[in-house]
Amino acid sequence: MKKDNNSVYGGHTSHEFNEDLASLNADFLKMGYMVRDQLTNAIAALMDGDGFRADEVRNNDKIVDKLELEIDDEAVRIIARRQPAAIDLRLVIAVMKMVADLERVGDEAKKIAKSALALSEEGQAPRGYVEVRHISNHVLEMLNDALDAFARLDSELALRVMKEDKIVDEEYKAATRSLLTFMMEDTRNISRCMSVMWVLRALERVGDHACNISEHVIFMVEGEDIRHTPVEDTEKLVGR
Amino acid sequence: MIDPKKQAEIVHKSLKKRYRKEKRFRAYGILAITIALASLIVLFADIINKGHTGFLKTTITLDVEMNAETMYLEDPTDPDAVRMADFVEPLIQSLSEILPEATEEDRGKLRGLINPYASSQLRDELVANPDWMGTTQTITFLAHSNVDVYNKHKGNEAYSIKLSEEQQQYVDKLRDKGVIETSFNDVFFTSGDSRDPARAGVLGAIVGSLLVMFVTLVLSFPIGVAAAIYLEEFAPRNRITDFIEVNINNLAAVPSIIFGLLGLAVFINLFGMPRSVPFVGGLVLTLMTLPTIIISSRAAIKSVPPSIREAAEGVGASKMQVVLHHVLPLAMPGMLTGSIIGMAQALGETAPLLLIGMVAFIVEIPEGFFDAATVLPVQVFLWAGSPELAFIERASAAIMVLLAFLLSMNALAIWLRKRLERRW
Amino acid sequence: MNMNDTLISEPLEPQEMSTPVNRPVEDAGAQSAKVEEGKTVGKPFADDPKFKLRNVEVFYGQERAIKNVSLDIGRNEVIAFIGPSGCGKSTFLRCLNRMNDSIDICRVKGQLMLDDEDIYHSKKDVVELRARVGMVFQKPNPFPKSIYDNVAYGPRIHGLANRKSELDDIVEDSLRKAGLWNEAKDRLHSIATGMSGGQQQRLCIARAIAVSPEVVLMDEPCSALDPIATAKVEELISELSESYTIIIVTHSMQQAARVSSRTAYFHLGHLVEVNETSKVFTSPEHELTESYITGRFG
Repeated sequence: MKKDNNSVYGGHTSHEFNEDLASLNADFLKMGYMVRDQLTNAIAALMDGDGFRADEVRNNDKIVDKLELEIDDEAVRIIARRQPAAIDLRLVIAVMKMVADLERVGDEAKKIAKSALALSEEGQAPRGYVEVRHISNHVLEMLNDALDAFARLDSELALRVMKEDKIVDEEYKAATRSLLTFMMEDTRNISRCMSVMWVLRALERVGDHACNISEHVIFMVEGEDIRHTPVEDTEKLVGR
Repeated sequence: MIDPKKQAEIVHKSLKKRYRKEKRFRAYGILAITIALASLIVLFADIINKGHTGFLKTTITLDVEMNAETMYLEDPTDPDAVRMADFVEPLIQSLSEILPEATEEDRGKLRGLINPYASSQLRDELVANPDWMGTTQTITFLAHSNVDVYNKHKGNEAYSIKLSEEQQQYVDKLRDKGVIETSFNDVFFTSGDSRDPARAGVLGAIVGSLLVMFVTLVLSFPIGVAAAIYLEEFAPRNRITDFIEVNINNLAAVPSIIFGLLGLAVFINLFGMPRSVPFVGGLVLTLMTLPTIIISSRAAIKSVPPSIREAAEGVGASKMQVVLHHVLPLAMPGMLTGSIIGMAQALGETAPLLLIGMVAFIVEIPEGFFDAATVLPVQVFLWAGSPELAFIERASAAIMVLLAFLLSMNALAIWLRKRLERRW
Repeated sequence: MNMNDTLISEPLEPQEMSTPVNRPVEDAGAQSAKVEEGKTVGKPFADDPKFKLRNVEVFYGQERAIKNVSLDIGRNEVIAFIGPSGCGKSTFLRCLNRMNDSIDICRVKGQLMLDDEDIYHSKKDVVELRARVGMVFQKPNPFPKSIYDNVAYGPRIHGLANRKSELDDIVEDSLRKAGLWNEAKDRLHSIATGMSGGQQQRLCIARAIAVSPEVVLMDEPCSALDPIATAKVEELISELSESYTIIIVTHSMQQAARVSSRTAYFHLGHLVEVNETSKVFTSPEHELTESYITGRFG
């Protein structure tokens, strides 16, 4: 089910309420796209061995944290002042929870940047980067889709993101297995491979957060909490 | 948009104009009230000025010698003969002793000083006290009404024309000697009407008014309140009730004399009830006050807040219980005030009572609802039309009595409302 | 033959009334969403209900104020009626103890059953019904009598107490239940209108429960009260819900959310949605309910 944007952020008798919700939405998307850029930059820094870029990512994380606080504050203010109900209430609650997920994604980006810094000092493209590139593309797409699903109130897209997560998990398992093989082949590889392993682990976590965000989007749009429910039930709900 | 600074200026300017307007308006109001008050004061001043002397009487105190000879009495022991004696002679003698300058020819003038009924007063006292025969008693008599008027308005030519100059001199002398005295007029409050102004009183009219009011109250209050409750609470809203409502309002505006005609036609001619009796008067005034009572009672019932009705209905009170337990007690002050105002109106009513014969000259004080009687306003009307000077002040005095009744009824209405009123 | 019937021309069939003169309600949401007559989303029905209402229609003269409403009200539940002004929620509430009887032009059609008895049956005495279904009104409306007499009035007229001591017990018990005993016990015989608004309203509740009704109807009981008095009344409602069925009409959605277990949303005489309160306030099914709850019209 898709919802009309205007039916969520507009139409209140109180214009200020409309504006409050719209600005909450805008701030959340701003943070979301910023976190996505952080992740993109961190991956790029890793691939290119660009220490400077990795540093930039680490510094920018403070801005992400500040945004999180701001959005939480705004959400609390809306609850206190407007006593939102139904879709408005779900929106505010979902934003509060999704913001936590976004912040964690930002932290993962920071971790990746740290690993990129460590790896860039070694100077040479290590093994496992193919897997990283592959998974990161996938995860970035998921994150992008999750944010789009929120922006467009599109629960079908959100559901697709949740399904993607399974694939990412598979890919992550395959990648760890191949990295393990490298490590067993040559013990000198272990520390480097471990760093790559951390990156993979971080990317897998990002996938999970994207999945969480999607769940909240579905809660927001459909009004049902679908956490810990089988995918088939969710499909039925969304397909209605 | 108007610039805020400019706006303040404009408002400031218009403010003065507004204040002037308000002042002018207030001045009009004060003027209106002053005019109303002034005319009221003038009216009261005039009535009191004219009427206050009506509460005073002039008496002559004489030492009367009961001499059988002067009284042309042959056998003083025979009570029947005593009744037939001449009682004027002893009075004249007594007077001429005080006034030695009066000659035989002036006896008529002397006689004109004493009230015409003084002789019968003397007779009655003598019959009551046969042992007075042959003694001299000091007895106080009413003066003649002409003397009364002259005495109370000394120096006013208009009040002395009925007395000859000698008589005036006699009166002056008698007053100097303390024979003629002025005192509170108890006769006015203890006797009925009379042809002689000095002996005329309002008691008959007061009793008549009370009897009429009693009949009116007993009939119109229950009927009026019951009609109001029915119309307001139980009657269905349809053409018939609308028609009744319109007609009740119309009746309130019908001139009161029409009710008199109705009373004459229905109660006296059709039902053959006696004329001039308080009962019929009460019936006629009941007809007249009913619309007022119904209208004011309905207004009182309407003013009971619907929330109280709802509250009573909400706990399961039936229609009857709602009305009896809640609406009626809350509406009662309003109903009572309305009724008392209506009664006061009826108390002052003359026209309808004229038509049913309550205008007759009645000396006796009525003792029941079917005794001929008159009422205060009619008494005023009768006296005001009498030629005797002394009746003018009696009329004014009667008006004061009537006003006192009306004021006390209004005061009762206010007191009742204050007493019974409950806030919600 | 009732006099009312002569005032109203032939009763019209519902289908003829399909275009009633609706009052215009400024509703942005209602343009896109339509209500289907007689169709209520959510869970309007319950097992073994206290009130079983089927196809209820209320007419004010020619105007249809309630349109084909079917609803069950369970035992000892608190159900809140919400909806924009003029949606008929108060009218519907007042049908439940026939308070609309006194309005000449008001007619009620359909089946209204209280414990399987038709409350609009011609032989059913309205006094008996009101003894079973009490009512509390929008504005506190104590009688201008003493506190004691206010509470004792209902038991007196119904003859619930034979002795003075029994009546005293009823009064004390009702005032205790209404949380007013401590405040009122020392001035039972002073006039009730001297109390504060909140106390007066709790007194009205005490008066309503003094006749031991099964159901208490509340028509916006807190709209004239300040927040603290409101909180006290709400607290009282949740306590009373243990022993009474409570039906409350309210304009405050927060109040409905706080006190009720089920919520019914009315719109222009239609019963649009009935559901558990938590469901209605987090994810209502009907678009109109959502628009109303989120403050998009009304």
